[in-house]
Amino acid sequence: MAFLHAFSPAQFANALALASLLTILASGLALIFGLRDVMNFAHGALFMLGAYLGYTISGLFNFWAALLIVPFLLALLGVAFEYAAIRPLQKRSQMDVALVTFGLALILSQLVIKIWGTAPLAVTAPPSLAGSTDLFGQPYPTYRLFLIAVGFSVCVALAAWLNYTRSGMNVRAVSQHPTVARILGVNTDRLGLLVVCMGTGLAGFAGVLAGPYLSVDPALGGSILINCLIVVVIGGLGSIGGAIAAAVAFGLTQVFGSLLSPTLAVMAPYLLLFFVLLWRPQGFGRGRVG
Amino acid sequence: MGALQSLAADPATRPRSAKTRSASVYMTVAVGGALTVLGLLAPTAIHSPYYLGLLINAILLAISAVSIGFLAHQSGLMMFGAAAFTGSATYLYAIAITQFGWNAMAASAFTLSASTGLSAVIGALIVRARPLPFAMLTLALAQMLRSFVLITDFRPVTGGDDGLPLSFEGAFFDFSQAQLSKPEGFWPVAWLALCGVMALAWVVGRSPIGQVLRAIKVNEERMRFSGFDTYGPRVLAFALAGFMAAVAGLLTGLYTAFASPELLDFSTGGNALVSTLIGGVGTVAGPALGALLYVVGQDRFGATGDLEFLTGLGVVLVIYLFPDGVMGFIRGAVAKPGARDAEAQHGGEHAAS
Repeated sequence: MAFLHAFSPAQFANALALASLLTILASGLALIFGLRDVMNFAHGALFMLGAYLGYTISGLFNFWAALLIVPFLLALLGVAFEYAAIRPLQKRSQMDVALVTFGLALILSQLVIKIWGTAPLAVTAPPSLAGSTDLFGQPYPTYRLFLIAVGFSVCVALAAWLNYTRSGMNVRAVSQHPTVARILGVNTDRLGLLVVCMGTGLAGFAGVLAGPYLSVDPALGGSILINCLIVVVIGGLGSIGGAIAAAVAFGLTQVFGSLLSPTLAVMAPYLLLFFVLLWRPQGFGRGRVG
Repeated sequence: MGALQSLAADPATRPRSAKTRSASVYMTVAVGGALTVLGLLAPTAIHSPYYLGLLINAILLAISAVSIGFLAHQSGLMMFGAAAFTGSATYLYAIAITQFGWNAMAASAFTLSASTGLSAVIGALIVRARPLPFAMLTLALAQMLRSFVLITDFRPVTGGDDGLPLSFEGAFFDFSQAQLSKPEGFWPVAWLALCGVMALAWVVGRSPIGQVLRAIKVNEERMRFSGFDTYGPRVLAFALAGFMAAVAGLLTGLYTAFASPELLDFSTGGNALVSTLIGGVGTVAGPALGALLYVVGQDRFGATGDLEFLTGLGVVLVIYLFPDGVMGFIRGAVAKPGARDAEAQHGGEHAAS
């Protein structure tokens, strides 16, 4: 019976809530990697910065304002990131750029601690989402349902943009064949700037969304970064569809695995990562070889 | 061999006249030997246990940094998760003492051989990966081990989040547990281990196998095409790096008599990685210098909480301005004007690989 109990709709919703947060982050990471060939180790730190900014701005105005303003601020930071780090280092090896983003992650997390301190902060959900909703006969926190809805809407919007607009088509073209796309007249620099801003903006968006769901503390960035890297790599580096599928699979293993066999739940993502990186470097999606 | 020489266009192996080369080898050996002996006397010169303890921390960090630098320079692979190899060695040592009830010597021998064996197996699996996936694989390995020791089911063996305190009976060489836990008692062990590891990295780097390794780093396909085995040497390099990291882990276990999950943290491997980068991977002494600078910086700025900020800034600046690290910068400044062009060319090649 315990086994059947584990597969309740509430647990399923928990898995999806975790997955929706990861998909927003992972698609940003995948976009930046696809267009810029940069494995952004600062993505977790950007997410954390977004969560803290979300805390402050929802205190000043309200949660909805934070949800609009923070991604915009983080996108501005993305402009700085593009001009100060990515473009000057374009000719350097992937590894050098990855190390620079690693350094930036250290700087950002320290700035956050300097400004906000190390104590965990709590963000309350807006009143309209604070209660619980009836989910197949069981009460379930409304905010998590909202998180699932928003997370997957963002993914659908992103997929629609990539598949049905001209700029989206260009993004796909550049991430597959940068040189050919450039020859055919795609402005890769402008597109790169757009995508980096979008990636950092999405990290900020995910940060604000995470506020009422997780507690906001400085360790937020590091733990989510590893999960995010796992999701992106398993989904196929640079592939958004793959990242979404991998995030859902990841959420399901984490939630149901921890109910059935905690040991397996802890190890499964890493084992899957080893398997993917060693035998199928292109991931399970149609990503480019890592 | 001519093609091989030009492939491995490295300052240390760049063709020179045989006479100057052997002269520089003798110089290095003589200076290294003299420094090894002089270093043993450090406790008589530094009376403050605080600073001696600081230097020991620098040595422990330096050994891991030398290991990362060795692999990065010889194979072009950057270990993000060096903590996996240092931390697991500390745990193996702690488990051998507490679970198997072995004495310190047997536990140490077991730690070094088991870690090296494990590194060889892991290396056989992952050295084929390209640098970025390789970095992520080692990072994930460290995270996995960290989650592993925290699993409640293994708590009786690994101690969970409390860690594993340990105390050994008998002696490690001639040192008792009480002596090793004091900085002045531990100093000779740590210093000789650092010198040994640096000598090992230097000798392997200069040997034919080092030359083959760097040639593989530059162009693996051409080496394979030329009839060289490109897989075995890389596994060997990885196992050696794992061995060096295990020395650092074993020393940590001997000195602190404690194995904690913190040893497997991302940040523990991060410290060693940052030291390596700041020092520069081109030489054996670079990472050690970087570790010294890092620990001194930690001492100066740790209290104000600016350490990570400055570390991050340091990493970014070093990669922007001195891709070969502080040591590379010093060597560039010391090098003769004629040699500087070659050095710059080498730097470009290094960045492209």
